[in-house]
Amino acid sequence: MLKGKKLKLPDRLGSLVVGFDDKDEDSGGSDSVLESGEELEIIQPNGFGSGRESETDDDGEIEEDAMVKRKAKVDGELEQKGRQRHEKDGWGHVLVMKIIETDEKRSDIEYEISQKEVNLEKLQRIASTGLPDGGGLRATVWKLLLGFLPPSRDLWEKELTENRQKYSKLKEELLLTPSELARIKEEALHSTEHNADVDTDGPLTRQKISHEDHPLSLGKASVWHQYFEHTEIAEQIDRDLQRTHPEMKFFSGESSFSRKHREAMRNILLLFSKLNPAIRYVQGMNEVLAPLYYVFSTDIDEQNASNAEADSFSCFVRLMSDSVDHFCQQLDNSSVGILSTLSRLAELLKANDEELWRHLEFTSKVKPQYYAFRWITLLLTQEFNLQSILRIWDSLLSNPFGVQDMLLRVCCAMLLCVKSRLLSGDFAANLKLLQHYPDINIEHLLLVARDLSPDTSSYRLSL
Amino acid sequence: MVLVLALGDLHIPHRAADLPPKFKSMLVPGKIQHIICTGNLCIKEVQDYLKSLCPDLHIARGEYDEETRYPETKTLTIGQFKLGLCHGHQVIPWGDLDSLAMLQRQLDVDILVTGHTHQFTAYKHEGGVVINPGSATGAYSSITYDVNPSFVLMDIDGLRVVVYVYELIDGEVKVDKIDFKKTTATTHSAH
Repeated sequence: MLKGKKLKLPDRLGSLVVGFDDKDEDSGGSDSVLESGEELEIIQPNGFGSGRESETDDDGEIEEDAMVKRKAKVDGELEQKGRQRHEKDGWGHVLVMKIIETDEKRSDIEYEISQKEVNLEKLQRIASTGLPDGGGLRATVWKLLLGFLPPSRDLWEKELTENRQKYSKLKEELLLTPSELARIKEEALHSTEHNADVDTDGPLTRQKISHEDHPLSLGKASVWHQYFEHTEIAEQIDRDLQRTHPEMKFFSGESSFSRKHREAMRNILLLFSKLNPAIRYVQGMNEVLAPLYYVFSTDIDEQNASNAEADSFSCFVRLMSDSVDHFCQQLDNSSVGILSTLSRLAELLKANDEELWRHLEFTSKVKPQYYAFRWITLLLTQEFNLQSILRIWDSLLSNPFGVQDMLLRVCCAMLLCVKSRLLSGDFAANLKLLQHYPDINIEHLLLVARDLSPDTSSYRLSL
Repeated sequence: MVLVLALGDLHIPHRAADLPPKFKSMLVPGKIQHIICTGNLCIKEVQDYLKSLCPDLHIARGEYDEETRYPETKTLTIGQFKLGLCHGHQVIPWGDLDSLAMLQRQLDVDILVTGHTHQFTAYKHEGGVVINPGSATGAYSSITYDVNPSFVLMDIDGLRVVVYVYELIDGEVKVDKIDFKKTTATTHSAH
């Protein structure tokens, strides 16, 4: 009820309130949002899942109520004093409100993560409303949400150091060039023997070696052969890294700063490809890694930031384990492959907006394969700028039903938010629109995503 | 880790038609960073083939080369090592260690690569290393008909170079390894 009213406001306050304007889809969008306003009442106060969380939700409810009361006050003022003069006041009020909101959220999160046993459910709920930038909170919360850090705070130190050691060991084992490997092996073997012909002249001693120990070896078991196979992958990774976020100094350019970051990401991706010979490296994995690495490197905690490479590797592996099946070509047509996920997206759309679904599938023949493949496999990293990606990922990672579930919802919401443009477009126009998704208000998008009726075509067993 | 291929004295087409197929199958582009060739290719087609293996190609002039513009000697620095290149027919007596050592001091290099004798040798002499990769095609030389095809691949890694010797003996490729560490004193002894 209260939430519903708040959303009606955009018609008047729309131009004043920061970020609430310029939705591509005014009538259609707010319609669908208003209709599901009813659903919101039921779901929202209890959070996700069943009603058992009502006791623990006190903090959340109080915050919501306070927020809404403030909003109501603002409305009241506006109505009284007339529009023109007080547009500025109204804006000022709303901005202050936003700042207060963010600060409160920040202290909420800090409180949560300073607990001995972090309440993951609560954290998920707060995170799904967006995490504050800066202060390293996002880094820690993401690590918790991905399961990298255990809920008990005491184990963090141990877990982090163990993990970082494991990573450097892995790097040593897998990322050395064969000549370095040979050198280390030899030093171990001949450490006690003195190199006899250091000072004597004369013919140099020759040692016979096997067929696999030389650089031109074509044998499959040869270290050299494997090394050269991986150089191809390494070159591909390098090319892709050059193109990651070219507008950001963090990633692109020739400064030693960005080079260091690209080097770290290169190590992570190479290591991942060596550990997963079935899928190796696929173009786009660099984009999935980028937000993770960015968030962890910009952590204000010095130690965390310097170990961003090791932490990002583990979290990247966890994140990819969900969607790894999408990258394997052999699994395309199976029930865990990309095609099945795409059809689940179509089903979700059908369940929520049959008119749009019908128009896309049959009238304009725009099948999910044409646009959603990249959305799903790359977790939307190619559709939005980095700030928006971070916000969207807050919601993706904090979904108790898993990243994929929320991902499908967000994709569906993306379709709904441009509904009227889609309905009036033909195949070419629609494809162009969806492949170059326009800028929209992310909060609105995520709200629509949350309010969709659930994906019933697969039963999640997380309960 | 820099891989440098050293070969020469192919004498294509006069004394040999082509590299042995077993050698050719191993030499694929993308693995080698530099090629140094002692000379006597003899025709441009061989140069083009070597260029396709690796764009960084250095050739010294042999007495039968049809291209007259190759230099008589060449020096280059790879990593921590200075390499010198010369065909070797200019150094008389052919293959004599002391005379080659003179050339090495003249060029001021750590590793001197020469050919002409069509015999693989690798000597440590007066603080430097003299390597002769032999003939990659097994062509007969001015001295003998009994020549095994051979070439050399050097893996330069910091102050250490590992020399892999590839020889075709009785139709089989045999690979040997030679280790050589450079002590920093080597560079100063020449002064």
